[in-house]
Amino acid sequence: MVKRTGGLLLLLIVLVAASIGAILLRAQKPEQTGGTARITIDGALYQTIDLNVVSAPCTIEIPWEGEGSSVIAVEQGRIRVASADCPDQICVHQGWISDGTVPIVCLPHRLAIEIVGGEDTLDTATG
Amino acid sequence: MKRTKLRAIVLACIIIFLSGCAKSEQKVETQIFAMDTLMTLSVTGSNAQEACEAVQALIVELDGLWSVTNESSDLWRLNHARGEWVSISRQTLSLWEEASALSSRTEGALNPAIYPVVRAWGFTTGEYRVPQERELAALLEHIDISYVQADTQNTALRIPADMQLDFGAVAKGRAGGLAAELLREMGITSACLNLGGNVQTVGSRPDGTPWRVGLRDPLGEEGDYLAILSVEDQAVVTSGGYQRYFDLDGERYWHILDPESGYPARSGLLSVTVVGPSGTVCDGLSTALFVMGEEQAVEFWRGRADLIRNEEDFDLILVREDGSVVITEGLESRFVLTTGYEDTRVEVVTW
Repeated sequence: MVKRTGGLLLLLIVLVAASIGAILLRAQKPEQTGGTARITIDGALYQTIDLNVVSAPCTIEIPWEGEGSSVIAVEQGRIRVASADCPDQICVHQGWISDGTVPIVCLPHRLAIEIVGGEDTLDTATG
Repeated sequence: MKRTKLRAIVLACIIIFLSGCAKSEQKVETQIFAMDTLMTLSVTGSNAQEACEAVQALIVELDGLWSVTNESSDLWRLNHARGEWVSISRQTLSLWEEASALSSRTEGALNPAIYPVVRAWGFTTGEYRVPQERELAALLEHIDISYVQADTQNTALRIPADMQLDFGAVAKGRAGGLAAELLREMGITSACLNLGGNVQTVGSRPDGTPWRVGLRDPLGEEGDYLAILSVEDQAVVTSGGYQRYFDLDGERYWHILDPESGYPARSGLLSVTVVGPSGTVCDGLSTALFVMGEEQAVEFWRGRADLIRNEEDFDLILVREDGSVVITEGLESRFVLTTGYEDTRVEVVTW
């Protein structure tokens, strides 16, 4: 009788530990403060930049097939298209983005910059 | 007694432990360029990858049917048929039926034949210009869609030789609606699709709370949201003059044209947002009600019970030129002003 209870108790302890482990594993989320910028061209990944670790502001020039380019400016926590020789300049006018709500899109250059993994308050946006 | 309790605890622990092993929910996000815009798909579920790929294939297919510029599209063939019957897909025919129904309900404020006028302003190419009044008058003679003939038996359409159709005001909404339908059929209960500003949601967020959709401040910059809208299983579509425009000699000209005059619609509103279960209705009405203006838009909303079937019900958010906001009563509990916009005047319209 004592033996049986002991065995059951051991089993119980193991299960409790495993359950706590399972709950913790599911509740755990990676630590995220800011986001990572993903630059894509025609849907293909061109470069990713961790916006948390930008020590000094910098620019990246992305040549456009044919001719011209888009110049991307990066600072701590934010990113923008500084200049581009696309006809509509919509990407340049959009200015800085610092969260994942609305990506920067340059349709003529098929360029998109989105921020992933940041602390978004919104799921998406209209307009 | 004691033993029963112990057994219960053991059983509970086993259940909790095993639930951790259940097939995990997967969140898949993809982007595609289609319909001249960037589309973002975010889908959660055990078959999210498969569902995402199915939606992408669907959108590419629809883009291939409804593109104005792709020479193999249904629409291109129709626009270049010189007045002959053109056999089209069922998808295109039903989009036409919905578009023409919305056009007649809005007394022509939505007009799928306005494309040549939009082109005359350069909104299709970016080479903006202000057309001569005479030029506009000539183009406006060919936008009467009552001349379009539909043959539902043979799924064919026929338009006059001097007419050109464009489904730009409804295509993305329709694509979003069909994508949502496909996702639901595949058992997805949490997805958020953004088709170039046309939002379509399936179910709620993975955690069960409503989706939070930012509402762009038409007077601010991209990324300035004046309010947050909580939605589940609904589409949210905004039309605004700020989305595409050009300035010339101190005048601002935007891409939403009044089919009556051929000029940009100036109705006193900066943006119209339509929220409802049907993506097509939201998309088409956001344009039409922007053209109609506040008074007529509210009247249309009040009269919707006579005109609109249940699944086509909708609510509105109108932003006036002075920045104040009008919302219809169905949104009262789902609309929250963001920080910095707390002083915005919001009027609630009741039925």
